[in-house]
Amino acid sequence: MPAPLARAWKPALIAGIVVVYVSAVGLIEQFAEVYAIGTQVSLARVLLLLPLFLAGWVATRTTVERGERKVLAMPQAALSGAVTGLVGGAMVSIVLLAVDAIDPDTIGEVLIAVSTKLLGIVSFDQSLGTGIVLWLVLGAVVGALGGVVRALSPGARRVVLAGPLTIGVLAILQRVVSTAIKELGFRPDFLYDSKTSGLTWAGGIAAAVIVTLAVVGRDVLRSRPEAAAAPAARPAAASTGLGGFTTRQLVQGAVAIIAVLALPWVIGTALSGTVGTVMIFILLGLGLNIVVGFAGLLDLGYVAFFAFGAYATALLTGAQVNTTDGAGDPAFSLGLNFYVAIPIVVLLAAGVGLLVGSPVLRLRGDYLAIVTLGLGEVVSTLVTSKWAEGLVGGPQGMRDITGGDIGPTDFQNNPRHFYYLALVFVLLALYTSWRLQYSRVGRAWNAMREDEQVADAMGISTTRYKLLAFATGGAIGSLGGALLAIQLGSLTPRSFDVNVSILALAVVILGGLGSLRGVMVGSLALVGLPGFLREFEEFRPLALGAVIIAIMLLRPQGILPNVRVTEDIADEDRDQDAWARAAAGQPATETSAVEPA
Amino acid sequence: MTAILQLNGVEKAFGGLKALDGVTIDLNEGEILSVIGPNGAGKSTLFNVITGVYTPDAGNILFRGRSVVGLAPFQVTTLGISRTFQNVHLFPQMTVLENAMVGQHCRTKAGLFGALFPFGSTRREEARIRERAVAALEFFGTRLAGYRQRQPAYVLSYANRRRLEMARAIATEPTVLLLDEPTAGMNPRETLELRDNINRMRDELGLTLLVIEHDMRVVKGVSDRVIAMDYGKPIAEGTYDEVANDPQVIAAYLGTKAVG
Ligand SMILES: Nc1ncnc2c1ncn2[C@@H]1O[C@H](COP(=O)(O)OP(=O)(O)OP(=O)(O)O)[C@@H](O)[C@H]1O
Ligand SMILES: [Mg+2]
Repeated sequence: MPAPLARAWKPALIAGIVVVYVSAVGLIEQFAEVYAIGTQVSLARVLLLLPLFLAGWVATRTTVERGERKVLAMPQAALSGAVTGLVGGAMVSIVLLAVDAIDPDTIGEVLIAVSTKLLGIVSFDQSLGTGIVLWLVLGAVVGALGGVVRALSPGARRVVLAGPLTIGVLAILQRVVSTAIKELGFRPDFLYDSKTSGLTWAGGIAAAVIVTLAVVGRDVLRSRPEAAAAPAARPAAASTGLGGFTTRQLVQGAVAIIAVLALPWVIGTALSGTVGTVMIFILLGLGLNIVVGFAGLLDLGYVAFFAFGAYATALLTGAQVNTTDGAGDPAFSLGLNFYVAIPIVVLLAAGVGLLVGSPVLRLRGDYLAIVTLGLGEVVSTLVTSKWAEGLVGGPQGMRDITGGDIGPTDFQNNPRHFYYLALVFVLLALYTSWRLQYSRVGRAWNAMREDEQVADAMGISTTRYKLLAFATGGAIGSLGGALLAIQLGSLTPRSFDVNVSILALAVVILGGLGSLRGVMVGSLALVGLPGFLREFEEFRPLALGAVIIAIMLLRPQGILPNVRVTEDIADEDRDQDAWARAAAGQPATETSAVEPA
Repeated sequence: MTAILQLNGVEKAFGGLKALDGVTIDLNEGEILSVIGPNGAGKSTLFNVITGVYTPDAGNILFRGRSVVGLAPFQVTTLGISRTFQNVHLFPQMTVLENAMVGQHCRTKAGLFGALFPFGSTRREEARIRERAVAALEFFGTRLAGYRQRQPAYVLSYANRRRLEMARAIATEPTVLLLDEPTAGMNPRETLELRDNINRMRDELGLTLLVIEHDMRVVKGVSDRVIAMDYGKPIAEGTYDEVANDPQVIAAYLGTKAVG
């Protein structure tokens, strides 16, 4: 097999399958009318061609052959990418021909998303023949681009990708950004087309150019000799700012604070509500991150704490249960002030954490996951049950949950106000996680996660720290539940099924176990994105599955892993290690004991 | 000399296999006692019953005159017996420094509250943990110094992983240190360096050591006394020369069952 083809066939095959798959499940049709830029580039078309770009990128990777690193130079990179794209395009074409031959509507009886209409969309709204030609040509071009981008130096790659990524982000966040522009008192017409609601060509290109220039400008500034020498001189400069921070850090911090405080006023009421939900899941993610990310205890029943927080808040603040004939007083209820109730809820949730934790102390890994899954279900079943009807309303749930309002605020009906309440909770949870991470407790958890038996042998009481993890994680999760109760004003058991556990876990895993920034990004991507672009909503489960599988395969440490773990290890080191081991036929030994000066 | 660790007729069986069959050993304060024996003789099992990983079926284990039988491993470590493992077991995703800091866990107290409000005593304690962990790492000179301390443990070379495991054990501030084949997998130069380090552990850190070792140059170079085991029983005990020339020991190593 000629070299480019040998590299190409696997990525091309996977890309082809991805294209067929996203089409067959209906994702493409859903996005056919969502325009990224102009009327030519719909998100559907981006989604169709992106796999081929990535395939070209993957095919051009550096490989290690017989102990030698093979880096592709530019012309070969373009060739390998193009071949990959072409093969991928050809595969899609074959499927298109096959579908056409069998008749799409017959297939549609089994795979309901497949139809003549879909065939048209996938053929770029052309006849089948033209569509196939387009697939081959565009496939080769897009694949070649993938290869070329891979072969660029990191600096050049950043510059080249800045524009397209800007357009991509602006397109995906079209609702958010256009609302923000409106709220700021401008008309978004210069950027977004009011008819397609996608970017205009002029606006999109202008934005891309501006961002590209900004990236180039920054790189030029950084590469000046004085700037390159700066890191060495930094200790002296560091003391010039306030309280040990550099002026630059102070400015960045101030901008961040203002942005966070102003956010709800910029993005509008509806999106503030979405962000509120994102923050509830940040709380769940942060709490679960302590259990799974820090302590390594795979908990699939985390919804228990969410439910507990919500119902306990409702009961302590004096909500009503729904009955068949209206509302009634629950069997137990205290009319406490919200801010008195919250610390009690948190403490009780920590107690529930101990309760959940103690029966599973001896279980590890898969067994722990299954038992906690069961415990989560027990909680869902309990709140739905007849037995608990008098207390929490059974299937009808509870209503009239109020509280927390101070003066003129209205957390329940004004998402902007709710945002600030959620912000306070999130900041508390962030502070807790951040402090714990690098403390004696955090180290004990990490040690336990890495190797429970060895942690024990090194003097750590694993029983104690497991219980502490469940209690702390549970307490933070209950805060999420309390927020949900306030946000909705009413509760039904439907809000507390196993999907919450799975979504919370996906939030933690997507961002990278143990990473606090990761939890925020994960929650924005999995909870926020569907709210920002409604078309995503239906496909969240699909996205969840795909994201989790892809991450397990490609980046077991997550997208934004806990940085200290990986910062020192470049790809290069690993390749070298593998090479050295293969060459020596044994584990690599120490190369040099000399420290770089 | 006083015996700091005493084993009296310790037995441990796995199914029908007697891994330890009436082991009686006195470990004197300040000595280095080596344990040798062919594969499967029960040497690692000996470490595991001392440190609480396994509970012995019979017999007693006294540390400073108090029985440690039935204690959990973390309790034994807290009392002052620390160990390394035959197959290196680090916390691979944690940094080198953090690995050593975990060793200090049993000598410190800060909990949830201390983590959230890091003032006064917590802050001083954290500084002390760091200081002692660095000191434990620097027992091996520049091998685990400087930038290496910020690297995750899994990037270390094999020899350095073994050193880190020992540094972590030292960081628990033990009185008795158990080393399970500390030179396994090291090259000759590293092996000799470690031989000297084991002697320094006693001389500079004042530790009492029980060392399982296969490399006879190391055994010869560190041991005050040597015990040879076979089939779960001590078969010879004495100076290196006495044990190395014992006919039963030679027979055990040649793989024939000891006769008469
Ligand atoms: N957990 C266990 N379950 C069953 N058998 C075990 C267990 N641990 C050890 N054994 C058996 O006990 C015997 C002694 O094992 P041990 O590991 O103590 O030997 P060793 O002297 O350390 O040998 P080596 O030099 O190979 O490390 C072996 O036959 C081993 O297979
Ligand atoms: Mg052994």
